[in-house]
Amino acid sequence: MNAPLLQVEQIEVVYKRVITAVQGVTLAVPQGQIVALLGTNGAGKSTTLRAISGFLGLDDAVVTEGSITFDGAALQNRPPHEIAGRGVVLVPEREKVFPNLTVAENLAAPVARGTKARDRRPHEEHIYHFFPRLAELRDRTGGLLSGGERQMLAIASALMCRPKLLLIDELSLGLAPVVVGDLVRRLCAIRDELGIAILLVEQSAAVALEIADYAYVMENGRIVLDGDRQRLKGHKDVQEFYLGKGSAEDGARRSYRDIKQYRRSRRWYG
Amino acid sequence: MQLLINIVVLASIYALIACGYVLIYRVSRVLNLAHGELMMFGAYLVLACSSLFAGHPVMALCAAVILSLVTGALVYIFLMRKMTGEMVLAAILTTVALGILVRGVVVLVWSSQQQYPAQALGISNPTFTLPGDGHISLWSLVLVLTNLAAYGALFGFLRFGRWGMRMRAAGQNPLLAAQRGINLHGVYALAWSLSTLTGALAGILMALDSGVTGSMPVIALKAFPAALVGGLDSLGGALIGALIVAGAEVLLIYYVDPLLSDVVPFLVLVAMLFVRPWGLFGTREELDRV
Repeated sequence: MNAPLLQVEQIEVVYKRVITAVQGVTLAVPQGQIVALLGTNGAGKSTTLRAISGFLGLDDAVVTEGSITFDGAALQNRPPHEIAGRGVVLVPEREKVFPNLTVAENLAAPVARGTKARDRRPHEEHIYHFFPRLAELRDRTGGLLSGGERQMLAIASALMCRPKLLLIDELSLGLAPVVVGDLVRRLCAIRDELGIAILLVEQSAAVALEIADYAYVMENGRIVLDGDRQRLKGHKDVQEFYLGKGSAEDGARRSYRDIKQYRRSRRWYG
Repeated sequence: MQLLINIVVLASIYALIACGYVLIYRVSRVLNLAHGELMMFGAYLVLACSSLFAGHPVMALCAAVILSLVTGALVYIFLMRKMTGEMVLAAILTTVALGILVRGVVVLVWSSQQQYPAQALGISNPTFTLPGDGHISLWSLVLVLTNLAAYGALFGFLRFGRWGMRMRAAGQNPLLAAQRGINLHGVYALAWSLSTLTGALAGILMALDSGVTGSMPVIALKAFPAALVGGLDSLGGALIGALIVAGAEVLLIYYVDPLLSDVVPFLVLVAMLFVRPWGLFGTREELDRV
């Protein structure tokens, strides 16, 4: 029983029948681990997450190749509510809460997997205990929350679905470092207490490599690098391009002219 | 006094029809242009059930109401389901086609002559005299009360019911709702059956009061301005919009010319579109999505 919880195998996602957004992406999320997916804008990180969590007809996107296996079941091209019902729940990058519903309603609306009506209440209290701030804001309208509170609410309402795997798109985007640090601590607590695996998409490599057990780096719709935290932290390219440190040899300031892009080692799957 | 009663009755008719438009628009951004036809279909269902359950008017009425609920769900399952998550305009055009279809079927089956379901059921329509020398027929009174009950129930359901909450959630952000495990098909089917139910209730009660012909959908067309004036995504707005439209219509008929009856709702609508295109209680940014 060493099969990972989520196994994404060589998937290719095509938008509007012609635009290929990601190609040959392979990644795995083991039980109870935090896995990060790094990369710049437009690298295909969000598309990969959306492919895992399911497309609506309106997205006009389809997984044309490869397979997504979760807990032994194939997820590719299934509708989002069915995927959520299997225990894979997404915290999207934008529009992550229902703006006209109150905090309490935002937590009441999600369908909790395999939970009877009378078990909902304790589960809700349990979620509030991870985010005590939300309990104070119960009657506040979702659209009026601050960025940090909104992110908390989004994670909390995703947890209401009782996921086995939480997909988080851009945890740190637009948030103050203090807030991010706080959220990161809570995520680790959630992982440890509930045993939920987390797949985290991040632009900020510093944040991601702080908590992730394993990480993948994406560029132009492909995975170019992967490894555990130590390997990536020590990797020269990651240091240079994602952590903003100079090359390891001299450590002195360098001109942009000297940065040699072609030196980067790339590993393409497929 | 009579004037006031007329306004209240007409407003109830419009409001009961308008809440159907609002329900479907609010959860799926689709304008159901077949609402009038579905309402008329409900009225004809009474006719059909009256021959099926001859001598049992209550049973016939209940059967017609349940059938209309089922009709709404079937319309969604067999027709609108394919439109879920697709372009809204395509869905709206589908409802236009559905309307034409239903109208054709009704004429084919029941002919286009005026019919009286109340007679077929063998129930009378006595008139009550209210204090202040106003008259109201039994079924008009029932319609007013039904309207109040329907709005009360809908408000309660949307505010406190878990599925009502999910309907509101799906209306705001269908993608996020689906990602939170809410089955959009279930929510939409529910909206369609509730909307058809309220529409059919209006149709049935009007038919019991004054008979039914193939031109009944026109009334629903006149209720559409009521929904728009109130703001298409607001239930309370629909109630107030119906009052405004009905008030203007009844007063103008009384003081100016009865021939104005069919024009007034649309005059009110045009006036409203000039001043507040998003309606009294509508959300402003909804506009670009229509």
